Amino acid sequence: MATPLRSSAADRTRPTVWDGLVVLVILLLAGALFAALLPKETGGSLTLLVTLDGEEIGRYDLDEAAEGTLVTIEAPYPMTIELSPRGVRVAETACPHGDCAAAGWIDRAGEQIVCLPNRLILSLEGEETTDIDVVIG
Amino acid sequence: MPVRRLTRCAVLTALALALSVCEGLFPLTVLFPLPGLRLGLANLVTVYALCRLSGREALAILVARCFLGNLLGGNLTALAFSLTGGLLALGVMALLLRLPGLSLYGVSIAGAAAHNTGQVLAAMVVLDARAPLVYLPPLLLCSLVTGGATGGVAGLLLRRLPEKA
Repeated sequence: MATPLRSSAADRTRPTVWDGLVVLVILLLAGALFAALLPKETGGSLTLLVTLDGEEIGRYDLDEAAEGTLVTIEAPYPMTIELSPRGVRVAETACPHGDCAAAGWIDRAGEQIVCLPNRLILSLEGEETTDIDVVIG
Repeated sequence: MPVRRLTRCAVLTALALALSVCEGLFPLTVLFPLPGLRLGLANLVTVYALCRLSGREALAILVARCFLGNLLGGNLTALAFSLTGGLLALGVMALLLRLPGLSLYGVSIAGAAAHNTGQVLAAMVVLDARAPLVYLPPLLLCSLVTGGATGGVAGLLLRRLPEKA
């Protein structure tokens, strides 16, 4: 039952017209997808907004953050947050409950980690990805 | 499965593994900073196995390669990426090899495109976000080049290696 696939493809040394068709289909798909994604906000790059007591005390472009970057936040209960290109989490906190650390990673625009004792909010904002051209490089 | 076939599968699995490790030493992402961009040398083994062994054995080699490769370095996410991409590429190529008219260039290019699509889909599921989709169009364009290159090599390989090994 385990017979080799009888394919004529292996005998051809040159690309055929049908190969061209495959290339064309892929090009069309890539083009269509590119066009479909272009005008929308995809949230490709995330910005972390740190708000303490209603005041913005920090803003970090997560795309530029190296994996495992630790940032200490001076708050009533000091905390350490870990930045990564994919998101952010609270790594260590001195606050009583530690719910913010237990929340784990957030990685989507619009998500938040809230530390009530500190009245601190970490929120992720999506950015309009105008950097698609850069991705093609 | 006769011992002869079994050993052939084992050797091909080892070869695929070695190829993907070698490939990791010269990451294409240095030239193009595009996540998921690879030459896809291990795909050569899949093409060879599909043409000279069988779909079932190609599948066994692929799955074994992904799991063993994961042991060599990687995490569960990397496994999900390589399995999804690899399985999709295998399926598409097995289908296209049955069509008359295509050469290995077209088959391999379609396989590379399928692999990239699978990877991006896996990334979307793992990250639970649509964001990775942004990488698909440039990855598809790159797959034309990488798939064409591996397709050419696969053709050479199949013509040079005797049918009965």
